[in-house]
Amino acid sequence: MAKNGTNSEAYTTPLRRLLLAAVILCLLGLFFIWRIDSPRVERFRAAVIDRVLPSFDWAMAPVTATVNLARDFRSYQRIYEQNQELRRELRQMSSWKEAALQLEQENAKLRDLNNVRLDPRLTYITGVVLADSGSPFRQSLLINVGSRDGIVDGWATMDGTGLVGRVSGVGANTSRVIMLTDATSRIPATIQPSGQRALIVGDNSPAPPIDFLENPDQVRPGDRIVTSGDGDVFPPGLLIGQVAQDPGGRLRTRPAADFERLEFLRVLRDHGARRVSNPSALILPETPPTAAPTTEPDVDATTSEREN
Amino acid sequence: MDPGLLKTWGMRLLFVFLALIIQFFHLLPLNPAPSQWAGPDVLVAIIFAWSVRRPDYVPMLLVALVMLMADMMLQRPPGLWAVLVVCAAEWLKSRERRQRESTFVLEWLTFASTLVVITMIYRAVTMLLMPSPGVLGLSLVQLLMTIAIYPVVVAVSYALLGVRRAAPGDVDRFGKPI
Repeated sequence: MAKNGTNSEAYTTPLRRLLLAAVILCLLGLFFIWRIDSPRVERFRAAVIDRVLPSFDWAMAPVTATVNLARDFRSYQRIYEQNQELRRELRQMSSWKEAALQLEQENAKLRDLNNVRLDPRLTYITGVVLADSGSPFRQSLLINVGSRDGIVDGWATMDGTGLVGRVSGVGANTSRVIMLTDATSRIPATIQPSGQRALIVGDNSPAPPIDFLENPDQVRPGDRIVTSGDGDVFPPGLLIGQVAQDPGGRLRTRPAADFERLEFLRVLRDHGARRVSNPSALILPETPPTAAPTTEPDVDATTSEREN
Repeated sequence: MDPGLLKTWGMRLLFVFLALIIQFFHLLPLNPAPSQWAGPDVLVAIIFAWSVRRPDYVPMLLVALVMLMADMMLQRPPGLWAVLVVCAAEWLKSRERRQRESTFVLEWLTFASTLVVITMIYRAVTMLLMPSPGVLGLSLVQLLMTIAIYPVVVAVSYALLGVRRAAPGDVDRFGKPI
């Protein structure tokens, strides 16, 4: 190696090492801060994405549309089979429609007798899907409504038919929806008609397994799964999907929402939802049981500030 | 303005631009359903391939910033993958002089082993510190895909973007051999 030891090299190499050490320390520091105080860093992340992603939006929508168009174009090749299939389905559907109309009339009459008002609290805001999580390890979506539109962490989101997930991370203009297929998603559910309570445990697969089921014998494939409202996570009665059984005999959820194509999401306003403001709030009660009933107010203030 | 300096900064800009394009395509909501398949980490392949060839096109601070941004955008734990990639890239750069005479197969092996090592560290740390480290199979698929895509990345950088090793006679703008 011919190293003609110039003066500049003698200075720059140690300087570069120092810089490298500083960069490594900064990045590791950020990672550990994230590990210790994850909500704060996640808020920062939401703010960064909120700033960056809407500026991509002008390009994202047309590119997505073009790729989808190309995919649709490929499906034209088997248009004849599709047509036959659709005709067959249409015949089935028309008989179902007849049944549905009769049931609707009956339902209206019964409602009238009962004087029922549907829950007026469950109104919704519709948002457009901007982006997905960008990695196969996380199942989440970014929608174009945020705190500016009144979105609050923890609200449920649905597509037209079924539950999609939970809002987690709200920026001013965007918010992130953790889908029920994500590995961190746990949703308390009731299985109808048996009324069994269970947990829908996301595991990064298209059909999340059903866990903590009291009595699996009472549950059969095809049963409806709805949210149970336990723990104030979601309002009760939202459709999640159907029970299915995999070849191994394990009970799984076939989601009602069409995860292949999510373009619009409804965010349900839910003012009864429990707000999780600080990291320990999920496990601990909001106000700790006071062992010593008299504490000075200024001490109280400082501790609560530190917790937040 | 000095043409050599201009070219270096042009390539640095190109690198940032490529990183943005890659993230853009990662984020497109084409198929939000979970899949059993993971695409290659092209950004890392580019950083390593360029580090081996022209370290001055991917300076350490720029790599750190770009990777941190990728961590933020792609919902990874912020900083962890960035720090691993920065360390690996610096290690590859320190070997750059020695590798100049070696064959491509050897370089590919070096790339693969580096990637395996940092992926293993990443998996170990996330398994220790995070509640849901993600599916192991997907990590493996991604690792293999990235290793497989490396020759393509190298070929494209070489042929289209002109990132090639400094020839023995080349000098930088101060007249030093690179």
